[in-house]
Amino acid sequence: MKYVVGRVFVVLLFLLLLAGSCFGAVDYDQLFRQSSDLMAQGDLEGALGLLRQVPAPAPGEESGAFVSSRMQAARIYASQDATDKAIAACQEVLRLFPENSEARNFVAALKDRLKPGWHTVLADTVRFLPALGKGAVMTVLLVLCTMMVSPVGGMLIALGRISTLRTVAWFCWFFIWFFRGTPLLLQLFFIYYGLPSLGVTLSPMTAAVIGLGLNYSAYLGEIIRGAIQSIDHGQMEAAKAIGMSYGQAMRRIIIPQTYKRLMPPVGNEFIALIKDTALVSTIAMVELMRAADQLFNTYFNITALALAAVIYLVLTTIFTFIFEKIEYRAGIYEQR
Amino acid sequence: MNSAEQPLLKLENITKRFKDLTAVNGVNLEVAAGEKLVIIGPSGSGKSTLLRSINLLEVIDEGTIRFEGCEAGYVTRRGKRQPDRPEAISALRAEIGMVFQHFHLFPHMTVLGNVMEGPLTVQRKSCDQARLIAIDMLSKVGLSDKRDVFPATLSGGQKQRVAIARALAMRPKMMLFDEPTSALDPELVGEVFDTIHTLADEGMTMIIVTHHMGFARELADRVIFMEGGNFLAQGTPEELFSKVQDNERIRSFLNRLL
Repeated sequence: MKYVVGRVFVVLLFLLLLAGSCFGAVDYDQLFRQSSDLMAQGDLEGALGLLRQVPAPAPGEESGAFVSSRMQAARIYASQDATDKAIAACQEVLRLFPENSEARNFVAALKDRLKPGWHTVLADTVRFLPALGKGAVMTVLLVLCTMMVSPVGGMLIALGRISTLRTVAWFCWFFIWFFRGTPLLLQLFFIYYGLPSLGVTLSPMTAAVIGLGLNYSAYLGEIIRGAIQSIDHGQMEAAKAIGMSYGQAMRRIIIPQTYKRLMPPVGNEFIALIKDTALVSTIAMVELMRAADQLFNTYFNITALALAAVIYLVLTTIFTFIFEKIEYRAGIYEQR
Repeated sequence: MNSAEQPLLKLENITKRFKDLTAVNGVNLEVAAGEKLVIIGPSGSGKSTLLRSINLLEVIDEGTIRFEGCEAGYVTRRGKRQPDRPEAISALRAEIGMVFQHFHLFPHMTVLGNVMEGPLTVQRKSCDQARLIAIDMLSKVGLSDKRDVFPATLSGGQKQRVAIARALAMRPKMMLFDEPTSALDPELVGEVFDTIHTLADEGMTMIIVTHHMGFARELADRVIFMEGGNFLAQGTPEELFSKVQDNERIRSFLNRLL
């Protein structure tokens, strides 16, 4: 019997301690709220004073309030450009909790601040480039795959649209109507997240190439149709007059003449494509945009985004020059 | 019927309508092998439409076309007259060369490439054979030195001669010329006429639509005056041009041109 009473007493004592620690936490909550109010009023010194009141925890004691208070203090100092004090506040945390990643990252960021600006950017660039590079490789891969698929699709759609076979023409019209009339993002979602419920599960890369391929086939289809119909009707008649079939005339005479006219709008489309691949980041594919986004969310460092912008610009610039070159080559017969 | 009597081309009751307009109105025509026929008449009289109908570039509404005695271009299926299979139409076109007012050279091919295209793609000749034919045809029209240039660098007269060579490369049995000199500067007309003349001297059967009366008079075995989709008059050049006194319409037309 005595034994049981002892057990109950121990349990009660434990509950009491638990309640006490809860009350303590409530106190700190109020304190944080007050300091936030003071900060909002612009009284940073007052806010800091309150935060300082949170004592360092004894070993084994609950530590959340202490860490939060010191990190909040560090952020206030940092916002006041008092980098040394901010680092000191972080180090208070680190002395007790050397593994605290928030404090460590913040100290690293603050120390970077003390270095000259270009040095920081350089260091960030070196740090981020491998991840961004991998993302950029995926982006380029995606662009190249789509660039191989969509012109073929576009050509078929264009020929279908001007076909005398009603059903084919109607189907191609419908295809364009659908893929041009709905957001690419929606199409990607449907293919990646929607198709599995119909029993078709695709890898992010496959889903991305299919989505982008279909979408760009629709756009290129209209561009190619326009180019084909812009070729002088006499060309088709001349081809027919020497006995060519419709298919031969298209393949040998009409379509080769569209290449030069196609290059400017198709170049436009492909440059839009490079940027549209960023949408693919939403279907779990780590390409350039996703890589930059991840870095930004980890380090709160805008350099990652700036670097991604530079890489996108480099890619679009390369494509621009390639297309200008091809356009020149394709139209060489027009020179006198 | 023996082949000397059988006309190369026989048109019966050819009628072509565009909406309200009857461009060709029940025309009958026989062209013997080796004959040089010139069709004249005011613009809009149906000359070009008639020519294009022969080559099946226009789908006619009524009438029959016989080439070498065979009915060509149309079949009757389920009581309805409709264009023949594409292969049959292409086969007929391959035997009838056509030269257009605006040349319609293939701008993305060299001059040689233009002339080779028919033998190469349509007749499926080897590249070497097609090249030999093309070189031969280009020397015939006097443009051997322009073989490797693109059409954009040629003068109008040169372009039209290339177009003639391109048609000839198919070894057609008959040539149709649709106002071959109307798009040319006056000083370039002569070279094209000379080329056509050479062809005529070789015995090529041809129908020429033109506005050049001097040329018609010089070359034609027979001249047809066409207006409003009908043949108003036909005969040898001497007959037609002496009939000028009889027919008011022809007289006023010729007076305006000469």
